[in-house]
Order: sequence, then structure tokens, then C-alpha cells
Amino acid sequence: MNTTAISSNIQVITGNAAAAIAAKLARPDVVAAYPITPQTEVIEQISSFHASGEMDCELITVEGENSAMNAVMAASLAGGRVFTASSSWGLVFMYDAVLATAGARAPVVMVNVNRETPGIIAVSSGQQDMISTRDAGWIFLIAENCQEIMDLVLQSYRLAEDYDIQLPVMVHYDGFFLSYLSEGVEIPAQETVDQFLSVLESQPKRTMLRPGEKLGVGTHGILGGYMELRHKHVTAMERSKAKFDAIDQEFADIFSRSYGGQLEEYLTEDADMVLVGSGSMCGTIKSVIDEQREKGVRIGLVKIRMYRPFPHQALVKALKGKKAIGVVDRSLAFGFDGGPIYTELKAFETKLGGAKLVSFIDGIANTDITKTNVKQMIQMTADLADGKDVPEVTWVSYPKANKDKGEK
Amino acid sequence: MAEKNKGRLTKVLDYLKYDDPFSKGVSFCPGCGLELLLRFIPRVLGNDIIITGTPSCSAPVLLGQNKQSWHTLSYFGTLMTGAAANATGLVRYYKKAGIDNTVVCFNGDGTANDIGFGNLSGAAERNEPFIYICYDNEGYMNTGIQKSGTTPYGATTTTTPYGTVHKGKNLRRMNLGVKMAMNKIPYTATATLSDLEDLAKKLLKAKKAKERGFCFLHVFAPCPTGWGANPADTIEICRQAVKTNYFPLWEAENGKIRMTKTVKKPKPVSSYTKLMKKFNHMTDADLQILQDDVEYETCLLGGLSVLEAECQLPVSAQD
Ligand SMILES: Cc1ncc(C[n+]2csc(CCOP(=O)(O)OP(=O)(O)O)c2C)c(N)n1
Ligand code: SF4
Repeated sequence: MNTTAISSNIQVITGNAAAAIAAKLARPDVVAAYPITPQTEVIEQISSFHASGEMDCELITVEGENSAMNAVMAASLAGGRVFTASSSWGLVFMYDAVLATAGARAPVVMVNVNRETPGIIAVSSGQQDMISTRDAGWIFLIAENCQEIMDLVLQSYRLAEDYDIQLPVMVHYDGFFLSYLSEGVEIPAQETVDQFLSVLESQPKRTMLRPGEKLGVGTHGILGGYMELRHKHVTAMERSKAKFDAIDQEFADIFSRSYGGQLEEYLTEDADMVLVGSGSMCGTIKSVIDEQREKGVRIGLVKIRMYRPFPHQALVKALKGKKAIGVVDRSLAFGFDGGPIYTELKAFETKLGGAKLVSFIDGIANTDITKTNVKQMIQMTADLADGKDVPEVTWVSYPKANKDKGEK
Repeated sequence: MAEKNKGRLTKVLDYLKYDDPFSKGVSFCPGCGLELLLRFIPRVLGNDIIITGTPSCSAPVLLGQNKQSWHTLSYFGTLMTGAAANATGLVRYYKKAGIDNTVVCFNGDGTANDIGFGNLSGAAERNEPFIYICYDNEGYMNTGIQKSGTTPYGATTTTTPYGTVHKGKNLRRMNLGVKMAMNKIPYTATATLSDLEDLAKKLLKAKKAKERGFCFLHVFAPCPTGWGANPADTIEICRQAVKTNYFPLWEAENGKIRMTKTVKKPKPVSSYTKLMKKFNHMTDADLQILQDDVEYETCLLGGLSVLEAECQLPVSAQD
């Protein structure tokens, strides 16, 4: 691959702006979206790019999120490159179409700005919207900072539209913490992005819904055909793991930024203990790790970048042989002891070479995961490694939950 | 008389320029109005239309099963909630890619008037260039004959049954056609199977008008199974629906309503209702409520066509 760096430029922009600019750089044919806090800025930015002629796409300002997903699904099946963005209730309102998009193997790319979805209208952060839709059959990627939002959106097109994959991809990032965070972001030149995405043009053409071509999409699958399609869907999801790792490598060659694919490992090699996290909390965790390392604490971080398909092989490889693992969840799994990611990782416990696992629940509904909180998590993980008695689940910012199980 | 009928038929045949893309036998009930309509559409519009459809009575035939299809059209089988948004996505992409197209979004009244109304309305506001055809069988037939927003007053369905307290639907039906015309879209029309020439003309008008934006056809399509009617009476039911003003035939360009068939001396609604069982239980007083509703709607339509003829929609708001 030609690695000539065509000039990029660094600008201080919000996470939402990074998503919008990345979408613009990908040159989608059709964008459809509906506003919701904290995603609104994404669609506003795209609208202004569209109005100024900077973005030559069909922009559909729909009457609700359900239509946004339906419109981009159809446009994608017709052969177009598409983009949409939502969050929270918006994601929930498009849910039936989210499922249909996955089942139709439509390579839709969207960003979901994580926000809580409980009964009280929580205009606040949390990954529960992502968890509620995790088995919709989409590829889920999670960004840590504004730069990664930009990079993941670009990588998503390569993944979604790859001839061997053809699946929708959702890029998640923490609402409020990242949506409105301004950071220096390196914005690549259009030519470089074009070069990165050009690989897709050399691939075989996927089937497209075109006038007169006698193609049917979305049949009634009741007999064996349905099982066949579901199996193909699952295997395509599995393939996306290695593909994502490879795309990350190629991205590094062109843009000089690499994250490690499915997982980013931070100081894990010689670590006895590891925290597993995702999204914006990882920045905080890394800075605490740096401090702890100076004190000789051998702690590392595994950051989950690809959440669906669940990167269990990569996680087992990264975590095997560690003494203790603390999994930090920004969401809940009802009826389980521990958060959703923790619960999923537990299924592979026997493959982890005796590593002990604990669950930390924090950062729900805008509760900040502070450095103090992370220090507490590291301390508890260290205690676990030392064979001390540590509770399986700790609600870090709500100590009452750890004592009072009988509350109403 | 025979000669006269033959002449009428030949005229309709003139509109049937294309082959029937559907296989000869398909799994509809005998006399199903929607089947007749579904076969008619591509024969008039051509076989290069892209047709979309939702879970409904039309689904088993429109959507095919597994790898097999009952027809040779390009189609998109979709969800009840988002059909018009799917069609929007298609036409917008075709526009961007410069691909000529006729997208026909073909749905039952349950999809159009009820659960999918939001996105139908949105597509009308944005004037998306496709043809939405609602076949109105006045209920959710595929799930076993439940009430919809277009089920008429008094009719029994499985969710508005005849009981000691409630006797059929006790709400009036919604007028989907007028609702859509009031969006001032390029073309709106009502049609039915007793007036095929009128239907064909309207389909062709819509095909042309969709170059300027959204088109909506509201087609009255009896369901012998759900209505308790003789399958042989489907066309007669349509005829009586028109003659009683129960389902008037009109069209509207940019909201300007014009009758395409004027009924000089409308028959009482009972000459329509007596053709099916769903109204069997109604007393004269109940039938009068339905009759009043029919007259109210006719009056409203007449008033609207006069008003609309007098008003001028700003040119900028037309496209
Ligand atoms: C979201 C959703 N709710 C309910 C259903 C179940 N369902 C399948 S067909 C149908 C009725 C469809 O009615 P209509 O659109 O009027 O078509 P018809 O069956 O009368 O031809 C319903 C309610 C569904 N498929 N999707
Ligand atoms: S139930 Fe009614 S609408 Fe459905 S196929 Fe039978 S006749 Fe047609």
C-alpha cells in the first residue's frame, strides 16, 4: 500500500464533529437522520456541509428514527453508501429496522452516541442503549476519544462494505463525555481517505436492488432457507474479527495510527492484573495505570473496541495467565451478578488459566468514572490477586448498593 | 347489452400493455380484491417497477418464500412500520446514482393508515418521488380480520365482534384518501376494481406525476373472506360502494380535488352493506349512522373540491 502521507490537519473539534467530518470524508450517497441529544450536533453538522455543497449526498431529514434506519437500509440495499446517527430512545425507536437491516445484510454505517434509556428520561451517559441492542446482528465498535471516533467511522466503511462481510456497523461513543468533548483531532485529507476506501471498488459487486433486475429482498424465510441465512450471518460476524484486525493494520500504514483491532492492550504484557473497559473511561484508566506503574503496581488495561461479535478469542489470549481481572461495565445485566461484559467474559473463565474475575459497575447516568474510582478498582483487583476476599460485584459510585441488597 | 360490455372490456385491455409477471395460481382466497389489483398494476405500469410490501395478505405472494418467488418483479419485502421510508431510501439513492425508476409501495390499510402512517406522512411532506398504493380491505386481514382505522362504523371484526354490550365497531372510519390529498402532493386518487379504466388511467397519471413527487392511490379492495361475502360478488361490491357514495371516485392534483365519477342519484348504503355479513346485525338506526357518515364524507368532499378549485397553491410550494 502506498503510504504517502497527504497533508492532514489538526483541529480542535467535538466528538460529534469528528463523526460528522468522518462521514463526510467517506462520501456517502444517502444520509438520513433525526435529532436526539447528545447526537444532534452530528446531523446538524452534516446538514451544514450539505447546505454549503461540501457534501454531495442525498440528505433525508426524516420524521423519526425508525424512518432513518429504514431509509438507509433500503438505499444501502440498492447499492448506495449510507450514514445515519442516533442515540438512546432514537436507537430504540429504530429497533425493528435495526434488526431488519442486519438480517438483510445491508452494509449500513451509523454512530450511536451512548445515552441511558431508563424510565426517567435520563439525558445522561451510559451504555445501556448499546447493551439493549447488542444481539441485533450488527458489528459494534466502541471509541475511546474524538480521534478514535473519526478513525472508527472510516474503518467501519471498509468493514461493512467488504465483500466478505456485508454487515451493518455501529460505532458507539459515550454521550456527553465524548459527544461534547473538544480535542485536537487529526483530520485526514480527502485523497487519503479515498485511497483507503478505494479497496472496496476493486471487490466483486454485491447484489443490488435495481429496477428490472428481478431481485427480491426480504422474503418470507420459513423453511430451511432461514437457518441457512442465519448461519451465514453468524459466520460473517466471526469473519469480521480478523478482518477488523487487518483493516486496523492497513489503517496504520496509511494514517500512522494503530489501535490493535478488536482490542487495544495497554501495558498488559508484564501485568499481573488487568482492567477490562471500553469507551471514554479507558483514557482515565490509562492515566491511573501510569501513576500506579510508577509505584511498581503491575496493572494493565484491555480496551474492548469491538463488542459484537464478542472478541472472546482475543480476550482469552490477552487475559490468559493473569492473576486477577476487573471488568468495568457502564450498563446492567438484569438477573446476573455483575455487568453485561463481565457476565459474557465469565463464560470463558475456564480458558483464562485460573485468572479470577470481579465486576465493577460505574459511570451510569453521567456518574463520572473518576481517577479515584479507578484507583479503588485497581486496589480491589490487587486484593483479589493477593487472594483476599473481594465482593464479586461493586457499584463503585453507589456504595449503598454493595451493602443493602434488600432495598426497594 | 353483450356488445356494449365487450366494447368496455376492449377499452380496458388497451391499458394492459405488459405481461402478467405473477404465476397463474397464487395463494390468495378466491375473489380477493387485492390479488386482482396486484396483478393489474404491473400490467399497466410495466414489469420494471420495484414493488415493496409489508407483512399483510399481499405478503405471501409479493414476498416469495425462501429462495422462491411468485413473480418476476424486483421487490423489497419490509416491515409494516417503515414501508414508505424504505421506498424513500430507494428513490433517493436512485436519484443520486441517476437510475430511472418507478417504485411502488404497495400496502394494506393497516400499514398505510395505522402503524405505518408516520412515515407515509413524512414521505408526503418531503414529496418523495414514488407511488404509494394502499389497497383498502378495511382491516388487518392477514392476522385474522381485526379492526383498523379504516374499518367502517358497525362492522364486525375479530376485535370488534358482536356482543351483548358492543355490536361491532363503534367508531367511524378515517378517510385516508382525503388525509393524503390535503398534503398537496402532486397526485392523489381513489379507485376500485369495478372501474378498471378509471384505475388504469390513474395509475398512468401517477407514474407521470411521480416525476414531480409523491403520489398516493387509495384503492378499495374487498376481502370476501373477512367481510363474509360471496367471492363472486367482489366486483359488484365495488360497484355498489361507488354507487352509494360509500367509496367515491376522485383525484387530486396538488390537493385540488375533482370527482372522476359523479353519482347523480346515490343509492342507500344498504344496497352495499347487504352484500356482506359484516353488517348483518345492524339495525336500521345503526345503518342510519353509517348512512349519515357517508353523506357527511360526500358533503365534505364536495365542499373541498369547490374550495380547492378557488384557491391557488403558491407555485413554490407545488414541487
Ligand atoms: C410491527 C408489527 N406488528 C404486528 C404485525 C403483525 N401483522 C402481520 S400482518 C398484519 C395486518 C396487516 O394489515 P394490513 O396492512 O391492512 O394488510 P392486510 O393483511 O389487510 O392485507 C399484522 C398486524 C407485524 N407484522 N408487525
Ligand atoms: S383474507 Fe381477504 S384480503 Fe386476505 S387474501 Fe383472503 S380475501 Fe384477500
